[in-house]
Amino acid sequence: MNKKKSYSPALVSILIGVVLCGLVFGLLFLVRNTLKANDTGIVQMAQTIGRKIVDPYPINPDHIGAVLLSLLGAIMLVVGAALIISGIAKLFEAIAENERNMMSYVPGALMLLCGAVIAYGFAKALLLGVTRFSTEGMYVHLFIDAGILLIIAALLIGMGCSRLVRAQKYNRSVKIYGMPPADVNRSMGLKASNLISGIGIHTLLVIMSVVWLIPFVCIILQSFRVETAMPVGYVLPKTWGFGNYTGLLKTDFPKWYLNTFIMALVVAVLQTIIVLCMSYVLSRFRFKMRKPLMSFMLILGMFPGMLTMIILYRVLKDLGLTQANAVPGLILVYIASSGMGYYVSKGFFDTIPKSLDEAACMDGATKAQVLFRIILPLAKPIVIYTILTAFMAPWGDFVFARYISMNTSAGMNVAVGLNSWLSLDQINSHYTMFCAGGVVVAIPVTILFLCLQRYYVEGVTGGAVKG
Amino acid sequence: MASVKLTNVKKIYDKKVVAVHDFNLEIKDKEFVVFVGPSGCGKSTTLRMIAGLEDISEGTIEIDGEVVNDLQPKDRNIAMVFQNYALYPHMTVYDNIAFSLRLQKLPEDVIYNKVTNAAEILGITDYLMRKPRALSGGQRQRVAIGRAMVRDSKVFLMDEPLSNLDAKLRNQMRAEIILLRQKLDTTFVYVTHDQTEAMTLGDRIVIMKDGYIMQVGTPTQVFEMPENLFVAEFIGAPKMNIMRTNLRRNMNGNYCVTPFGSEIEVTGFKNEELKALNARDGEIILGVRPEHITLTENGGPNTIPVTLEVNEMMGSELHLHVYTEDGTRIIVRVPTVDLDPEKRCSLVSGKKLNITFTGKVMHFFDPKTERNILVKED
Repeated sequence: MNKKKSYSPALVSILIGVVLCGLVFGLLFLVRNTLKANDTGIVQMAQTIGRKIVDPYPINPDHIGAVLLSLLGAIMLVVGAALIISGIAKLFEAIAENERNMMSYVPGALMLLCGAVIAYGFAKALLLGVTRFSTEGMYVHLFIDAGILLIIAALLIGMGCSRLVRAQKYNRSVKIYGMPPADVNRSMGLKASNLISGIGIHTLLVIMSVVWLIPFVCIILQSFRVETAMPVGYVLPKTWGFGNYTGLLKTDFPKWYLNTFIMALVVAVLQTIIVLCMSYVLSRFRFKMRKPLMSFMLILGMFPGMLTMIILYRVLKDLGLTQANAVPGLILVYIASSGMGYYVSKGFFDTIPKSLDEAACMDGATKAQVLFRIILPLAKPIVIYTILTAFMAPWGDFVFARYISMNTSAGMNVAVGLNSWLSLDQINSHYTMFCAGGVVVAIPVTILFLCLQRYYVEGVTGGAVKG
Repeated sequence: MASVKLTNVKKIYDKKVVAVHDFNLEIKDKEFVVFVGPSGCGKSTTLRMIAGLEDISEGTIEIDGEVVNDLQPKDRNIAMVFQNYALYPHMTVYDNIAFSLRLQKLPEDVIYNKVTNAAEILGITDYLMRKPRALSGGQRQRVAIGRAMVRDSKVFLMDEPLSNLDAKLRNQMRAEIILLRQKLDTTFVYVTHDQTEAMTLGDRIVIMKDGYIMQVGTPTQVFEMPENLFVAEFIGAPKMNIMRTNLRRNMNGNYCVTPFGSEIEVTGFKNEELKALNARDGEIILGVRPEHITLTENGGPNTIPVTLEVNEMMGSELHLHVYTEDGTRIIVRVPTVDLDPEKRCSLVSGKKLNITFTGKVMHFFDPKTERNILVKED
């Protein structure tokens, strides 16, 4: 037990990392020089090889092969990602249980490795398919590979260093005290693994947030582009201006906006009242068939709402609530089954002690007074959550709105209206305006969320946490 | 300012579990009645039925002669203090107390007077603008009492109001409830599982077990004349010592009991009553309270030899846990002043002692029915 720890694994790990680094940089240097000398030589070679391997069929080789390849790549990428995630989970499980036996880390590590290999391979396939073996595509590949190799090298060097430090501490302790350090061993290991997993998680988060932000940034930039209204192949506008925003006022956009706003507002008010009353009743009253009713609504809620679309259209048409009159019709559709969304708020109400109700009852309050003066003030996060979700649903709805308004501009909401600008005959004259409209639509919702985000999060997790 | 009458009240949960059997009680105007019993005995359920928070399965409850079975709690004009206080967390203390008055739509200045008045009585004037979570347990309890107080209701119900407080605060609040009762001068129904609270607060005590009333009586009655073994053991701390023994007449024609080989004569009015009953010789359950047992220096026919197991020093008194030769455990309560320091120090585990008790303090229970044989059946 008190043997000295060998430094060799740590040193080997560092060595491999350094060599890898050197290889990558050397390779990059080589490629750069080759490309300089013959800009297309190596690329062409890669292209022909790539085509021979993955696309041996003569039929339109550029197209079908690429599509198939990217499809396969995408599917296998998901498989790889799933493997990686479960591998990480298994590893964390082992770490959390503080396993001493190295064998228990093996399945997790193996899964992780397989997942990584599969994901890497097919990510390349996806990229090859998407970029269709173009020159730019080859550059992308090169840099991605170099990046991945560099990250692996950095990890290896980091792990080697931390092992080195650990072994050194261990050996010193053995030398001086004749025994291994009490918990230096473990805490150092934990620190190192925390650092590595921290770096990994944050890198992932940064990449994800960048990916998520790109479309928004693009839309905002496009909305300020005034040189052409067409979709173009570049992102930064050449001429900046507010023309698209002022132009919105001359179209049907204000009408659509008003439609959407009225719908969202009415639905938010009515749906909130219905949902909260429903939840209160199910949480506090005991009546016959209460449990069956709850499970019935739960099962009913599992059917997709789209199933009702055709019959709803017939009914609303007979009532005269389609096309130009779509706004009241849609309001009816949105609030009709809102009582079924009682779960979250009922769960929250259940956590409010019943003795408060009883105290209020003794104080002379009616059931309604109990709800409005005791329960609701205590359930503020849930009330705001309900209002927000009720407001959001009609605000962003497309399918029902499109169906019920049936190409009649007066009955459209913003989503449907803006979408009509993307039709083939309008897109070249309205594309930038479409972007401007998108930004305007996003503004109120964004403000709402920024102000109420705290309550929203509380509301989502509120069922479990006492208010 | 009202009487409460419960007639044949029954509570059945889910059509099978009977929580309260056939509860009959008449609570007089301005009386302080305490329901006491172990947990699950139905005392809280009964209280909640009076309050209207639980349906009454059978029987009737009358308040001031009016049957209230089908009245909503808010129409019964009853105030209630809950065990967990049940203060409204989002309101200040002032709003908490004023809540019921605002529901009655009283003018704000009347509300202000009532609330400040109540706050003054309870000593919570300084906290009126605080939220309940910024208060200590005792202060919260006062607010809960204040909230019930301002309503000038006919009956004041309290459901274990002190059980969430620490021991010291509990004693203090107990005294304050007695004072409060003098000030309010209304009908109180108080539920507790603590027999000390029941003895100190109640005009009358209702002792319950498994949904049945075991005895109703003043603190003195239930302490000195427990109707059955359960009441005898439940009231009094430490609990009454129970010995299975025989009752018989001795040569003088007096009754005597023979616990653990000794022979102790029954004297005083207990002897007279036994004679009047003409009790038969035979097996009997004998009950003697710990404070009525004394240590004696010398052995003798009327003493029981025991071994000391645990000596609990309570300050003003000692609780000696002893066991007899056959292993029966007995608790003896000795005032500290009765023992000189030397003797007190010698009372260590394993010491042999002799105990005895006089004939006046014995309680006799029928071994089959566990009823006190000196209490006449009604």
